[in-house]
Amino acid sequence: MIILFIVLPLIVAGLLPIIGKVSRRVLPDALANATLLALLVYAVVAGRGLIADGPVLQQLSWLGEAVNVRLALDGFSLFMLMAVSLVGLAAGLFSIDYMEHYGAKANFYALYLVMIAGMNGLILATDLFSVYVFLEVAAIASYALVAFGLGRDELEAAFKYLMLSVVASAFLVVGIAVIFGLTGQLDFAAVAAGLKEVNAGPVLGLVTAFFLLGFGLKAALVPFHAWLPDAHPSAPAPISAVLSGLLIKVSGVYALTRIFINVFGLTPALSAVLMALGAVSIVVAALLALGQKDMKRMLAYSSISQVGYIVLGLGIGTPLGIAGGLFHLFNHALAKGLLFLTSGSVQQATGTRDMDEMGGLAKRMPVTAVTNLIGSLSIAGVPPLNGFWSKLIIIVALVQAGHPVYAVIAVLASVLTLWYYLLMQRKAFFGKLNEKWAAVKEAPFWMTAAVVLLALLCVGVGILFSSTVTTWIQPAADILADGVHAATGSWGF
Amino acid sequence: MTPKMLLLPILLPAVLAVVLLLLPRALRLLRDILAVAGAGALLYYAFVFFSVKDLRLAVPWLGMGIDFDLRLYHFSSFILLALAGFLLLITIYTTVRMKDAPRGREFMAYVFLTAAFANGAALANNFVPLLFFWEGLLVTLYGMITIGGRPTSGRTAVKALLISGFCDFCMILGIGLLWSVAGTSTMSDISVEPTGLAAVAFVLMMIGAAGKAGAMPFHTWIPDAAVDAPVTFMAFLPAAFEKLLGIYLLARISLDFFKIRPGSGLSLLLMIVGAVTIVLAVLMALVQKDLKRLLSYHAVSQVGYMILGIGTAIPVGIAGGIFHMINHAMYKSGLFLSAGSVEHRTGTTELKKLGGLGREMPLTALGFTVCALAISGVWPLNGFVSKEMVFHGAVETGSTIFAIAAWVGAIFTFASFLKAGHSVFFGERSKEVPAVKESQPAIVLPILVLAGLCVLFGVYNKLPLTLFIQPILQGRGEAGAHVDFTAHALAVFNPVALISIGCLVLAFLLHAYGFRKGGRKAYLASEPIHNLPGMHQAYDLAEKRVFDPYDQGLKVIRGLSLGLFKGIDRPIDFFFEKIVTFTGAKFTGILKKAHNGHYANYLAWCLAGLIILAGLIGLLAQ
Repeated sequence: MIILFIVLPLIVAGLLPIIGKVSRRVLPDALANATLLALLVYAVVAGRGLIADGPVLQQLSWLGEAVNVRLALDGFSLFMLMAVSLVGLAAGLFSIDYMEHYGAKANFYALYLVMIAGMNGLILATDLFSVYVFLEVAAIASYALVAFGLGRDELEAAFKYLMLSVVASAFLVVGIAVIFGLTGQLDFAAVAAGLKEVNAGPVLGLVTAFFLLGFGLKAALVPFHAWLPDAHPSAPAPISAVLSGLLIKVSGVYALTRIFINVFGLTPALSAVLMALGAVSIVVAALLALGQKDMKRMLAYSSISQVGYIVLGLGIGTPLGIAGGLFHLFNHALAKGLLFLTSGSVQQATGTRDMDEMGGLAKRMPVTAVTNLIGSLSIAGVPPLNGFWSKLIIIVALVQAGHPVYAVIAVLASVLTLWYYLLMQRKAFFGKLNEKWAAVKEAPFWMTAAVVLLALLCVGVGILFSSTVTTWIQPAADILADGVHAATGSWGF
Repeated sequence: MTPKMLLLPILLPAVLAVVLLLLPRALRLLRDILAVAGAGALLYYAFVFFSVKDLRLAVPWLGMGIDFDLRLYHFSSFILLALAGFLLLITIYTTVRMKDAPRGREFMAYVFLTAAFANGAALANNFVPLLFFWEGLLVTLYGMITIGGRPTSGRTAVKALLISGFCDFCMILGIGLLWSVAGTSTMSDISVEPTGLAAVAFVLMMIGAAGKAGAMPFHTWIPDAAVDAPVTFMAFLPAAFEKLLGIYLLARISLDFFKIRPGSGLSLLLMIVGAVTIVLAVLMALVQKDLKRLLSYHAVSQVGYMILGIGTAIPVGIAGGIFHMINHAMYKSGLFLSAGSVEHRTGTTELKKLGGLGREMPLTALGFTVCALAISGVWPLNGFVSKEMVFHGAVETGSTIFAIAAWVGAIFTFASFLKAGHSVFFGERSKEVPAVKESQPAIVLPILVLAGLCVLFGVYNKLPLTLFIQPILQGRGEAGAHVDFTAHALAVFNPVALISIGCLVLAFLLHAYGFRKGGRKAYLASEPIHNLPGMHQAYDLAEKRVFDPYDQGLKVIRGLSLGLFKGIDRPIDFFFEKIVTFTGAKFTGILKKAHNGHYANYLAWCLAGLIILAGLIGLLAQ
């Protein structure tokens, strides 16, 4: 019943606008969050049992007739589903209080759940066309969510996001079409098998470049990143958290890794390109983050930089590198989600995102300040928080695989990361309290609860990192380390 | 009596400490009753344990040979009994003395917490629990000194903490070495030859134990604390508990863990430390103008006798050292308590301001006098017996120089106590202090009990010697030889005793001469020695703390850190502050300019990226 991951949020999303007519706040809040909680519980409790004997496959049928859509749940997808429902739930809880002043809560949750359904579908998809469809489902929901505030900046950002995403989608469709032309197949397993038979050479190289542009743009890798610093800050805070924490990873990193590693197979050339893209993203975005005054913009650039780490780790292609990349993906989802949520708390309390105007907010918003600090230190890689371990694994993997230059870049960039995060701490939370904010109060209950939940997870995963790695990361990394064989071997119908 | 009972001396005071801390000020009476009753119960159980003498509780704890292992045997049961006795006396004293002190409640809690840690340290039979309890004492040490409430109390507390911490650090290193040499951390299983690495371990552990007892050069916080900390603290920790624990551990180290032989290098080292401590500290004590400071230097000096006695590695010397430990704890505690009694009534302990208090405070004066005579080694008090044993041991080693040092110490000890007693209780009544009354019974009682014990342990020295000391040394020396130290305990007509008595006479003459020279002012009686050529300059330097390793160490560290700051830190800082931030800002500026928000621009990057990637993949794939 893995289709539940897609169907459940879709059904609730369909019901929500109707329910919204009856109950403006309470029912949508409860229903949406209950859905997310159910998904999380399903993924965490039932999921590991389901895949105990290898991947689970489901052939969808319509009125008893099999349709050409198949879903598959393996270690990698289960791990991603868990991350999506976890951060999704935290953002959902945060929205209970945060979305009050936006109004139209039911519509918001409906769009939000459609986006979640799109991400879940992408994660479970086993053919290129489904990937494209679910990618667009999640993306279209996200365009609307970025513009949800309906202000000038929001609309402009959403439009720019849409226009650049369309380019990405176009190249993806072209790439998929070429693959179909080469192999006559769309199914992952069949494409993987077909590509082995035809000697595609230069054509496959071109397709690879198209996919790199498409998914790289979704993942916001430099130089395809320019939409993100506009789009992510403009969205409401919980949406920023989900866009930066999840969407770019699912529709960018996940799709890219799944297709390149499990379907195309990671060639040394591809590995070199991925690592180069990762390293460039790390450094350029970290430098850009350093120059930002807008808190959410700084966080957005930081996301680009951290996605660079993930791609760098995955690009190494060794089991350790893949595990490090995936672990960093999870840690970054937690910590960046946390940071965007706290930035929302600050923005709601003070009405500004300009860090120069803030100052000393720790005195008025202690919980927000502490959780923000935990998130910052986690991403900057300070032990014993979770981000430290994943960066450490990536750096160790780089050294082991014989890429000392990349290792040095990764270390130096993490110093840069710490630098701009401490800058944020100093400008926003420490120092003298700005007179203007003397009356500021701590964020309301659900907002605080959501950030505390994520902060505790950051600390907990950091302390229990070895058991997290063995229970969640390792099964996922095993699938990827298996390469093309994972798709052709166990997914064959 | 089950082995679990061994937890009682640790848990009971620990629980009491928490309860005492939580009881509000309004329930002070209940608090006092609880404290005294708790201390009484501990003393009762200490007697019970002393009669049982053999009990062991070993619970697996952290693995890797680290067990929670407590062992009761004759030595630890003796220490437990002594600790409990002092705890009861100090508790009774504290109920009155710290009544109106601002943090009196906290003080009482610290006292019991200290007792819990000290009992644990005495019972521990594994190095890890030992260290746990031993380090716990640092906390209470710090806390109790700060209760003194003077402006410099905090600094002195830090000083005490750092010095004790350094000693403990040495001990941890030593224990680590010993652990690797012996292969076990169970204390009762360890007995190694002190050669090579084991010798280093011995020296390190000796620093830890002797430092806890307050031997030179780890003593410098004690005279400072005498002024800055409550006087009850002085009677409690530096005079009694720390001596008991430090010397207990030192004796365990040199008797059990390492086989120290007479005449060996390590024995010589111990004796040197002992002798130097005796002489230098007593010379400092002699010229002190404050009763508490004077007593605190003696607390250091007397440790020298114990270390010297144990260092001889000859049974009679070791027995003397251990006997001196318990004797010293009694009379030094009694002396500090008397000083506290005087301070309680007059508000000062400066010798110059006091005088002739004997008539108004007869009981305090009596207690002080007995204790002072005991510490000076006057026949037939306990100090005489234990010092004689140490002298005999020192003479037997053949290195007479150590015996001479001990005798020199005896001269100045008596001289300084003649000066102190004379200044405070006898002579003319000073006019600087108004008329006073004797202190309350709760203050006087512990002093008199301690004085009585001094007499008892002297006159009936057979009792402590056979009951406490001899079992510890049983089976040492020649195999099968019966251990008996009571033979010449109070004997006067032998060369050693005659020299000691000669020393006392000499001290009396010195005092009389100084008293006359100082214009019949008792507090100036030590001036002739103070003003001896060469001595005066040395004393001045000592007063300026030139010889204080802590102060000198601080100066060195300060100089070092200034050098590091100027020579290394600032250039590095310049590099980061100016060069790195500048280049960082430049790059950031260029990149920011490129992000101008134009859609066409961004699209162009994407396409350029695509072309580069396609080219790159094509190039790499070939």
